[in-house]
Amino acid sequence: MKGQGLLKGLYITLKRAVGKDITIQYPEQMPYLQDRFRGCLHFDYTKCIVCGLCTKACPNNVLSYESRQVEGSKKKELVSYTIDLQYCLFCNLCVEACPTNTLYFTHDFELSRYQRDQIKIVYEIPKEEPSAVKVDLKGDAPEPDETKKEKQLAAMTAALQKNPQKTVRKMVENDEDAEILAGILLEDEQKLSRMAALMIADREKAKKVAVAFVNKEKKDRLKGGGAEDESK
Amino acid sequence: MEHFFLNIAHSLIVWLMGLGLSSKGADLVLLIVQWICIVAIVTINVIVLIWLERKVAGFMQQRLGPNRLGPAGMFQTIADAIKLLTKEDIIPSAADRIIFRTAPIFFIIIAVMLYVVLPMGDGMQIVDLNVGVFYFISVASLSTICLLMAGWGSNNKWSLLGAMRSVAQMISYEIPLAFSLLGVIMIAGSLSLSDIVAAQNNIWFIILQPVAFITFFIAATAELNRGPFDMPEAEQELTAGAYTEYTGMRWALFFLAEYTNLVAVSALASTMFLGGWHGPWLPSWIWIIIKTYLVMLIFMWMKWTFPRIRMDHLMSFSWKVLIPVTLANILVTGAGIQFLAGMGW
Amino acid sequence: MSLNDAVFFLLAVITAGSALGVITSRNIVYSALLLVVTFLGVAGLYFQMNAGFIGLVQILIYGGAISVLIIFAIMLVMDVEPHRTNPPSPRLPRRLGGIYLSILLVITMGAAIWFTHWPLAVGTTGADEMAVLADLMLGKYVVAFEIAAVLLLVAIVGAIILAKGADDK
Repeated sequence: MKGQGLLKGLYITLKRAVGKDITIQYPEQMPYLQDRFRGCLHFDYTKCIVCGLCTKACPNNVLSYESRQVEGSKKKELVSYTIDLQYCLFCNLCVEACPTNTLYFTHDFELSRYQRDQIKIVYEIPKEEPSAVKVDLKGDAPEPDETKKEKQLAAMTAALQKNPQKTVRKMVENDEDAEILAGILLEDEQKLSRMAALMIADREKAKKVAVAFVNKEKKDRLKGGGAEDESK
Repeated sequence: MEHFFLNIAHSLIVWLMGLGLSSKGADLVLLIVQWICIVAIVTINVIVLIWLERKVAGFMQQRLGPNRLGPAGMFQTIADAIKLLTKEDIIPSAADRIIFRTAPIFFIIIAVMLYVVLPMGDGMQIVDLNVGVFYFISVASLSTICLLMAGWGSNNKWSLLGAMRSVAQMISYEIPLAFSLLGVIMIAGSLSLSDIVAAQNNIWFIILQPVAFITFFIAATAELNRGPFDMPEAEQELTAGAYTEYTGMRWALFFLAEYTNLVAVSALASTMFLGGWHGPWLPSWIWIIIKTYLVMLIFMWMKWTFPRIRMDHLMSFSWKVLIPVTLANILVTGAGIQFLAGMGW
Repeated sequence: MSLNDAVFFLLAVITAGSALGVITSRNIVYSALLLVVTFLGVAGLYFQMNAGFIGLVQILIYGGAISVLIIFAIMLVMDVEPHRTNPPSPRLPRRLGGIYLSILLVITMGAAIWFTHWPLAVGTTGADEMAVLADLMLGKYVVAFEIAAVLLLVAIVGAIILAKGADDK
């Protein structure tokens, strides 16, 4: 019958009019947000390992950071971390890329600011808390130089023993050399501890020593037959 | 309570005559006071109406409507009114200044003139014309000219298109509007609104004339330029139709007049079909207010439910559906009256 | 001068003045709008003569409908500057012809009014003028009334055919 739709429409609006409203009075009542809601991007600098994966993952160059080498170590530490939120499209790629869950979205969605430059979120990392050793030293009082150096040495030695290839990667030119060097160091305990000490005290010297080690090993292998080289 | 306003008017006349005025002079003063009262009530009522319209629209869209300023957002409209009053009055340089300026004034005058014949309670009618219904229709028909003046005077294509549409629409829908009232007039046997109210002492005309009520309602919606027949204003295509170039208080006058017309037509509908001021327990003037607001709520309900109708559908609906239906209604009513008269009623 | 006379003269001045404005205005839209004022003034005169129904018919038909159609037609065909839409004719013979015709009209009408015997109705119209009018229209003059209605219907049908075109098939 004609006109049925009109009555149906009137019925629906009447039902809506007397029914419950779905509007939320926002500043007083906060909306219910799902867990996966992407509000403001947050950065927890205590967890950052300065891997740079987030900056590479970001499609809009929102993320940038400044870092410096930790003294006596090849680890980096963070100086500052910047999230330029005005370009962020909340795609979640940086959060997925981050290996340590440093970056995550909070439920804070009130992102508007009065000035344009206030949109940028800058994390200045306090200097007396070097992030590289922060995990180890967390909660401890500042230690004297000697013990600190010893601890560093121990940490470096442990790192070399555990994962030599990655640790020495920066000292040599390519992965192959790193592998060779790792082999040498693992074979000889004395060389390992010497290398660790050098890496903490003087990086340049450590590099030279490392190259010398590698070259010597290569020569030895060539003399020995070169079968391994051919196979590569 | 029943004779509250009548007593006020009576004591005013007595007081004026006591001051030495002749009875005619006192009547004249009373007429002026009544006129001022109409204008004041209309203006204040519009504030309530706009608030109500916003609330109704909000509720129908599962929103809350205005609720910030004052209790339940009541003062929102007052703030809007203040804003409109203080806004700059812009007249386009290419506009026809005289026509542009006078159009809203005539529009509101015509809207207020409609109230003269409406019975707002038992004996509460400013002038009881014996052609009251006809007066209402013919005076309301003058407002088309004002819209045309506004549209033409603005010298703007949207304004002119909106004015053309509204004129075409209003002229077409005046006919079914008058025809649908004719059935009631035939039963009541009078054009006087007070006679029509008196004739509904026993039974409301909405029961005797249901078809006429529906056609009247549809035609009145079109006459008022309200949704779903708000083609003249059609914001999405014509910005604001004939009102496009108007700013501030001039625009507010149009707005005021539209709501004034809404109240007047709703009051007419409740007078013609819903028994006027008849009602138990409460004073008569409260009954007419209740009925008028009820009719206005239905108008709002329709507006916020239905989408806008296309212009050609609008016109063909008037000429091909409403006019034949109302003519048939007149025929059936006449036959029914003759039949019942033959039966000896 | 009684109040009644004052109202009459006011209405007469409004009616005649706006009628004069219709023919002297250079802007044809003003002419049309002043024509509405003239119609309303005439309606006011009807009201003063206690002929409320006729006055309202005047407002509804002339003020509300016919004048709107006139304005409509003017607006739809107007394509020159508005203040040059209603100029006096530039040619002298035409002007003279117009003057001649209007003088003729005034003389004819004046003579007709002057020489006709107008019976002055004593008293006012009945309170229920509507009923009297209805009795006359649907009783004594029903044939003329119905013929006029049929004539209007024919005119409407003819206008629709002219506007939309007849279907030849």
